[in-house]
Amino acid sequence: MLDHAQSVTGYYGRPIVKPPAWTDLIPVYFFTGGMAGTAATLAGCQRAAKNHELARVMIGVAAGGCAVSAFCLVADLKRPERFLHMLRVFKPTSPMSVGVYIFSAFSTATFAAAASDRLGIAAFAGRAFEALAALIGPAMSCYTAVLIADTAVPAWLYGRRWLPAVFASTSATAAGAAGMLACEPRACAPARRLAIAGEIATLIGTRQLHEELGPRQALAYTRGQAGAFAAASRVLGVAGIATTLVAGKHRAGARAAGALLFAAALCEKFSIYRAGCASAKDPSFVIDAQA
Amino acid sequence: MTAIDLTRLRYMTSAEGEMATYDGAARRRMGFFTDTTLCIGCKACEVACKEWNQLPADGYEFTGMSYDNTKELSGNTWRHVAFIEQAQAPSPSVRWLMESDVCKHCTHAGCLDVCPTGAIVRTEFGTVVIQDDVCNGCGYCVVACPFGVIGEREDRKTMGKCTLCYDRLKAGATPACAKACPTESIQFGPVDELRERAQQRVERVRERAPGANLYLQDPSDGIGGGGSIFLLLDQPQVYGLPPNPVVPTRYLGQMWRAAAIAMAALAAGVIACSTTRRA
Repeated sequence: MLDHAQSVTGYYGRPIVKPPAWTDLIPVYFFTGGMAGTAATLAGCQRAAKNHELARVMIGVAAGGCAVSAFCLVADLKRPERFLHMLRVFKPTSPMSVGVYIFSAFSTATFAAAASDRLGIAAFAGRAFEALAALIGPAMSCYTAVLIADTAVPAWLYGRRWLPAVFASTSATAAGAAGMLACEPRACAPARRLAIAGEIATLIGTRQLHEELGPRQALAYTRGQAGAFAAASRVLGVAGIATTLVAGKHRAGARAAGALLFAAALCEKFSIYRAGCASAKDPSFVIDAQA
Repeated sequence: MTAIDLTRLRYMTSAEGEMATYDGAARRRMGFFTDTTLCIGCKACEVACKEWNQLPADGYEFTGMSYDNTKELSGNTWRHVAFIEQAQAPSPSVRWLMESDVCKHCTHAGCLDVCPTGAIVRTEFGTVVIQDDVCNGCGYCVVACPFGVIGEREDRKTMGKCTLCYDRLKAGATPACAKACPTESIQFGPVDELRERAQQRVERVRERAPGANLYLQDPSDGIGGGGSIFLLLDQPQVYGLPPNPVVPTRYLGQMWRAAAIAMAALAAGVIACSTTRRA
């Protein structure tokens, strides 16, 4: 092997930074946690707008998202029985530490609000918790973008300015789509609008993300599994928008559109996750960015 | 619950050299200088490290990567000897580079910044150590390290890396790898002394090997300089090291600002979708 080739390919093509030691429960959490956050915000806004039918569905979606999220977070730990060690310190330098408090506060408020709503007890306290969850919701949807950007993984670190926007927009799509799946069409116009707005913002946001990365680093998002998930997300998303516009006010149409947009948002989160893994495994991304 | 205030240890420069402060007591910051020109690839450091720290074995895989069947630093392997074969003119002569890699014990350590349990701490020797009775294996440090040093330690199900033999340092002994190194390729000592020694050494080596360079000796680099410094004969990436490592938390303010804008836009979007009246 020649000297020049080694300065490009590194040490036998082996990774310079480590790919995540996480399982796919983590991208699932990015999706369910993000969806839950925006769903709670939509629930709060609908409560204020006196659309109780949609508000009730959305706080239920948020609670369901929290339950799945809690499972994913604990099950992914190598030592799940030590989960509470996360709560022994608060470290502003760690987005995961900040996030664990965001998630704890958010899920507590959401579960309390959903329980009050379903059981019809302590209505005033329930509404207060619902308002609190609605306030924390956007942070719940976006902090995970900071969590992955604050790593040495090239596809995430070098996309740090636009990742939060993409996390916000996919969360909006997911929450809106969940509303379309779970609520009657007559009450879920705001969810339809949110899903469409979120998907359009995702399409724009991913373009901006690629621009921020530059053509060489953006390859992590366009090649391999990340590229396949991104392509699937685009197709599903455009089909979902079209279906919503054409048939979103009918029950079957809303269900189909909701499913398409839900899947589009999930695929986008997996695309971002896989892009990070690919950019860590291939040392040329680090060498290109740093040499 | 206690708020951690040791995430960024302050270093004081005094007449005695670089000091680490901890619990009011001041001690010199300790580290490694790995002079790769002296490495003979015997892997005594790998073995000594495994034995002293009772680390799991790597198995018997044959990689075909010169004499390197260890492959990388990980939770199970805290010293790793890299072997690089380079064709030289006149053909067919070959230059054989060997380098014993280890945790860099960064001044600004990404792993320490992001650890959410407080398992990773800065010690009184200025080193970075994972307490494996606290670590819950969340894996954040794995991706936060610019050098890919950390991985899961299989037998304990926690994250593992070099401790600079914290237990041996406590007893006033030299770390196992440096003790075992037969050529003094691995040198242990106060970091300020090692920096000086490395500077003198690289100037001598450059007379015969113009490509010789020091790695992580500069306190103004992206990690604030390493507690482990290296004398290399080629570019860092040839050894599997990042050419210009930067601690990711340096950009944390930028990230949270971007996130704050995204959160505000998301909230505004939800409100807009909720309030627009439809026919």
